[in-house]
Amino acid sequence: MGRMSDQATPPRSLAEALRVRDDASLAALLRARPDLITPVPTDLTQLATRAGTRASVVRALERLDRFALQTAEALAVAADPAPYDELLGLLTGDEGDQAVAVALPRALRILREQALVWGADDRLRLVRTARELLAPSPQHPSPTGLGPTVQEATSGMSPGRIQEIVTAAGLASTHDSVSAVAALTSLFTHRKRMAKLLAGLPEESREVLSRLVWGPPYGQVTADPAAHLRRLLDLGLLLPTAPGTVVLPREVALHLRAGRAHRTTEPLPPAMEAVSVHRPQVVDGTAAGQAYTALATVEELLKDWDEGGPAVLRAGGLSVRDLKRTAVALDVAEPVAAFWVELAYAAGLIASDGEADERYAATPAHDEWLEQPPAQRWARLAEAWLTATRTSGLIGGRDTKDRTLSALGPGLDRSAAPEVRHRVLTLLTGLPEGAAPAADSVLARLRWERPLRGPQRDDDLRTRLAEWTLSEAEMLGVTGRGALSGHGRALLGAPVVEKARAEEPEGPGDKLPVHHHVTPVLEPLSPAEQATASAAAVRLLAPQLPEPLDHVLLQADLTAVAPGPLQRPLADVLGVLADVESKGGATVYRFTPGSVRRALDAGQSASDLHAFLAAHSRTPVPQPLTYLIDDVARRHGHLRVGAASAYVRCDDDAMLNEILADKRAAGLRLRRLGPTVLATQADPATLLDGLRAMGFAPAAESAEGDVLIARAHAHRTPPRTAPEPVPDGPPVPDTTLLTAAIRAIRAGDLASTTPRKQPPPAGGALPRTSSAETLATMQAAVLTGEALWIGYVNAEGSASQRVIAPIRVEGGFVTAYDHTADEVRTYPLHRVTGVAELAEDA
Amino acid sequence: MRKGSAYVNGPLIVQSDKTLLLEVDHEQADECRRAIAPFAELERAPEHIHTYRVTPLGLWNARAAGHDAEQVVDALVQYSRYPVPHALLVDVAETMDRYGRLTLSKHPAHGLVLTTTDRPVLEEILRSKRIIPLVGARLDPDTVAVHPSERGQIKQTLLKLGWPAEDLAGYVDGEAHPIELDEDGWALRPYQKQAVENFWHGGSGVVVLPCGAGKTLVGAGAMAQAKSTTLILVTNTVSARQWKHELVKRTSLTEDEIGEYSGTRKEIRPVTIATYQVLTTRRKGVYPHLELFDSRDWGLILYDEVHLLPAPVFKFTADLQARRRLGLTATLVREDGRESDVFSLIGPKRFDAPWKEIEAQGYIAPADCVEVRVNLTDSERLAYATAEQEEKYRFCATTATKRKVTEALVQRFAGQQILVIGQYIDQLDELGEHLNAPVIKGETSNAQREKLFEAFRQGEISVLVVSKVANFSIDLPEATVAIQVSGTFGSRQEEAQRLGRVLRPKADGHQAHFYSVVARDTIDQDFAAHRQRFLAEQGYAYRIVDADELLADS
Repeated sequence: MGRMSDQATPPRSLAEALRVRDDASLAALLRARPDLITPVPTDLTQLATRAGTRASVVRALERLDRFALQTAEALAVAADPAPYDELLGLLTGDEGDQAVAVALPRALRILREQALVWGADDRLRLVRTARELLAPSPQHPSPTGLGPTVQEATSGMSPGRIQEIVTAAGLASTHDSVSAVAALTSLFTHRKRMAKLLAGLPEESREVLSRLVWGPPYGQVTADPAAHLRRLLDLGLLLPTAPGTVVLPREVALHLRAGRAHRTTEPLPPAMEAVSVHRPQVVDGTAAGQAYTALATVEELLKDWDEGGPAVLRAGGLSVRDLKRTAVALDVAEPVAAFWVELAYAAGLIASDGEADERYAATPAHDEWLEQPPAQRWARLAEAWLTATRTSGLIGGRDTKDRTLSALGPGLDRSAAPEVRHRVLTLLTGLPEGAAPAADSVLARLRWERPLRGPQRDDDLRTRLAEWTLSEAEMLGVTGRGALSGHGRALLGAPVVEKARAEEPEGPGDKLPVHHHVTPVLEPLSPAEQATASAAAVRLLAPQLPEPLDHVLLQADLTAVAPGPLQRPLADVLGVLADVESKGGATVYRFTPGSVRRALDAGQSASDLHAFLAAHSRTPVPQPLTYLIDDVARRHGHLRVGAASAYVRCDDDAMLNEILADKRAAGLRLRRLGPTVLATQADPATLLDGLRAMGFAPAAESAEGDVLIARAHAHRTPPRTAPEPVPDGPPVPDTTLLTAAIRAIRAGDLASTTPRKQPPPAGGALPRTSSAETLATMQAAVLTGEALWIGYVNAEGSASQRVIAPIRVEGGFVTAYDHTADEVRTYPLHRVTGVAELAEDA
Repeated sequence: MRKGSAYVNGPLIVQSDKTLLLEVDHEQADECRRAIAPFAELERAPEHIHTYRVTPLGLWNARAAGHDAEQVVDALVQYSRYPVPHALLVDVAETMDRYGRLTLSKHPAHGLVLTTTDRPVLEEILRSKRIIPLVGARLDPDTVAVHPSERGQIKQTLLKLGWPAEDLAGYVDGEAHPIELDEDGWALRPYQKQAVENFWHGGSGVVVLPCGAGKTLVGAGAMAQAKSTTLILVTNTVSARQWKHELVKRTSLTEDEIGEYSGTRKEIRPVTIATYQVLTTRRKGVYPHLELFDSRDWGLILYDEVHLLPAPVFKFTADLQARRRLGLTATLVREDGRESDVFSLIGPKRFDAPWKEIEAQGYIAPADCVEVRVNLTDSERLAYATAEQEEKYRFCATTATKRKVTEALVQRFAGQQILVIGQYIDQLDELGEHLNAPVIKGETSNAQREKLFEAFRQGEISVLVVSKVANFSIDLPEATVAIQVSGTFGSRQEEAQRLGRVLRPKADGHQAHFYSVVARDTIDQDFAAHRQRFLAEQGYAYRIVDADELLADS
């Protein structure tokens, strides 16, 4: 798309404005608002339309820095279109503000670039959706705290009332409301006349205005307001919006604010303050030390999980108990342990094994990783950390459904995390080398760059992410003593040492080019760029990392001290031969009989161990240690343990020789344990049969060594009680039950023999009696065995009539033989509407 | 190290568990040791790498001695071979910063008051239920009155809450009594002088010196400084006599000025020596001898062997905070873990000199430590395997083979002063019989004990068999060989004491020998391993030899 001539008519729409932009500028737009090209729009009109959709505009506004947002907000309360000077006036106020004046072109450039503002400087237009979002309305109070304009506020007012106001304000009355409102507006926007008008007000009235001036601009008045309020209403300095509510019109507020749309404008990002400055060597050294610790910790974690890590929870993730255990094993606090676990996971070093009984385990990538030189291992971790969306800081907290967030579990992804991490570290690159920033200033800067819409809080996600970033960067050794290290810088792709970068603006008024303050110094890197940057970091870090040692110092208290990291094979062998007692820059190992035994179990011989120690000790091997190894080795393997399921015992070892020599015995797999004992894996019965088949006459032996008699014994059970009789049929019923049953039978009989005579008296209405009466009649009927006629309402509420012969009344229920249904039923008494005796002749 | 690396090749390695490893052979080792000694406790001192531990108490000790966090951090950073973790430095600074925010002092109008330089801390501690009963009215936002009787209590409680208070309330002078050192033909050693000075300057506190380094003289020096009536608390009667003997010999005090307050005698004189045992005797739920503390206006209270201070004595001490207190000990490690009570009630560590250093200066004799492993006979092994759990130690510790080894050793060192130390009376009696040596045990009367000790000192007797009653505070200057045949389950204190028996400087510069006879493959050996570790950690190289070898040699 070619660029149109500048002399062309000014654009009449956003689409036209976009049309005249060059490719680079459109590319900048699309880079800043990638949502506009998903899917790719067919033409610029469509692009403009899409750029004006609410969702897209909200997204774009959310990504503005504080001053750009303030500019947009000011534009939203300015005229549409607004000339540059009006906008400037709203931002600087009447007094003017040099810093704002310098910063405004940049802010406008951002807004234009993002297609939130279009039009030339004399006709700046905020896209309509943005205007709607940012302009004050009763539903959405504007961050500026301004109210509606006079014109908007008087739109529903009667022409007579408007004329009254105009007259009261000392203006000539006009013929129509439109001109009256215009006159009033021009009065309110005229500083001098307005000042005079206000000067004539009583003190209380001015006080009322000053309370509303910075917002919210709405106030409550009673139906019969006090004199000073009355006066304000008469003059139109307060305008009614709803019964009992008044608003301070925007023009009045702006006058009282000396023209400022915001109480404070923040044209410049808050300066990053350094709390302490260390020598870069110290920073690099500390960071490298920490980087080494990070490697050691992750290795230790994986070693701990080497032979089967903790189980995966059904909902995914690591149980709280396993995390605790891991924290104890690593000797760190739980949140720190969670960080390492997540880091190893993000770097692809651990994963779930996917078995039926799911557990976490090291991945094949872990073995590869272990083979790499330390600096590269670190780079892998650091890269994974930089780009991970998983956020270990959330672990232990609760999600929106109040479920605990577990390490390695679901729900830890925060898409903002990599960006915040990158941004925080980028901010650190802006500081001079070796300077550690105050965390507060980093957070303030981030809030400036991406202000929250709505009330400011200290615990919003970005703030927490930034705090975590700072602490995690320290743990990982990206920073040392709070300052970004050389390799950390390189990892971000920043030029390692650059003089210009070393001067960070101290605060407002700084004369450095404005873009230096705001535009991100570094964009997140593409994978290829990251690889280059990591390689640079590796080159810087490698010489800083302590070189693995090939020796230890052995001491008479049976410890070995490795005064630095050990070469891997040495560390591995020593780890088996001795217990680690203390970790850190050095490692202290302690030899115990148990640890020496472990080494012997692992297949080492005493002489191997002596040779190993002699080879790797800088000092003579202390005599007690030599003695310890010999002493343990002397006893090691003295006792032998194995499994056998049968044996052959014979005092005549010649006979045993004979058995062993016999080819037929091969299948029995006999082994000689001693001169008089053979053992086998075969079971005793097979062995007996086998020996018998070979012509021997073996006798079986019991566990106590007695000869087992082959004759069968009479077989007996353990003590048993005789079975309880199980009578056929139910037990004999008791009298009450019998009586009741009989009565029921009789009642049934009665019902079946007498012609069923349903006596629906008086038109089938349900009988109605009081509950007391119902109960009394029922009880009487139980005694007499009479049948009753009842009205009954079932659970669904439908009424019916039944003839019943009550058998029992108890607990609010009546059990009766129901003649209507021909069976015994139970009715709740409260459902019985009433009873009546059957007619005598029934 | 490589060029361009951030590492200085320092002698110190800082571990993540807050232990410091010091490479002894490093050229800067001495310098570094001096820099870290004020705040780190020497935990182990084997031959190549010494281990120090940084604890809150240690850091507060350093604060009390006038060191600040910056010095500590500097010392760590300067000598550390690897970068010191930032978190550790921050932690050190924070911990040290806690000391001194609260101060106990005397207010002219309100008596004892607790003041703070940090109001929220005062608010925090005043909310504690344990503090409320100890304090009185709030005098102003930064000051609260403290009941004078609770001076010790409140210090103890504040330490537990993590806000140790600095006690600047001063001391009463006590009843004056002239005491001078009688430096005739001897003088306080430089480190003893230093210890006395540090103590006096600090007001109250603990002096840590190895056995045999002359703690008694530090006590005498402190008394000569205080020149006031003094109460000396010691572990037992023998030790009390020893103190008396030494004080008469080394100071201007006469026999009549020194009283003994023990089970047998109840004398209260300007200088009174009382035993822990009599103080902690309870009759019908009360401590009848408590009035001793109030019987005189004591100007100085001396605690011998602070690490053995029984719990009730802490309670009494809490009420004695207005008097100067000096604790003497070989180790701050208490097996009951009440180090913090020592810190809050007696005072911070005022002086510390490691064993090896004093040995190097020639004030204590170097020792050759040998563990002799004896085999149980087959029948003994069987009997050991079947013995009841609680009998096992006794069984293996008293095996007959040990006797043979002991005899061989005594023979080898014939002519030298030999102590045979053991736990079990039967064993000791048997040994005494075979070695033809007198036995000192619990039932031996004090008079008899002193007679025997004197004879041993004079060289009239060359072999003495002693039970654990001789563990503490007796002074046997000429013992050059100690043979220990059984002990109390590997107690480290005991080992320190026993080793102390032979560490006194020898007139003829003989090397001291310390033999432990241990039954192989038994729990005796396990206990011995524990003790040995202690020895090795104290820097005494030891050897292990088989009894057969030893018997073959001699």
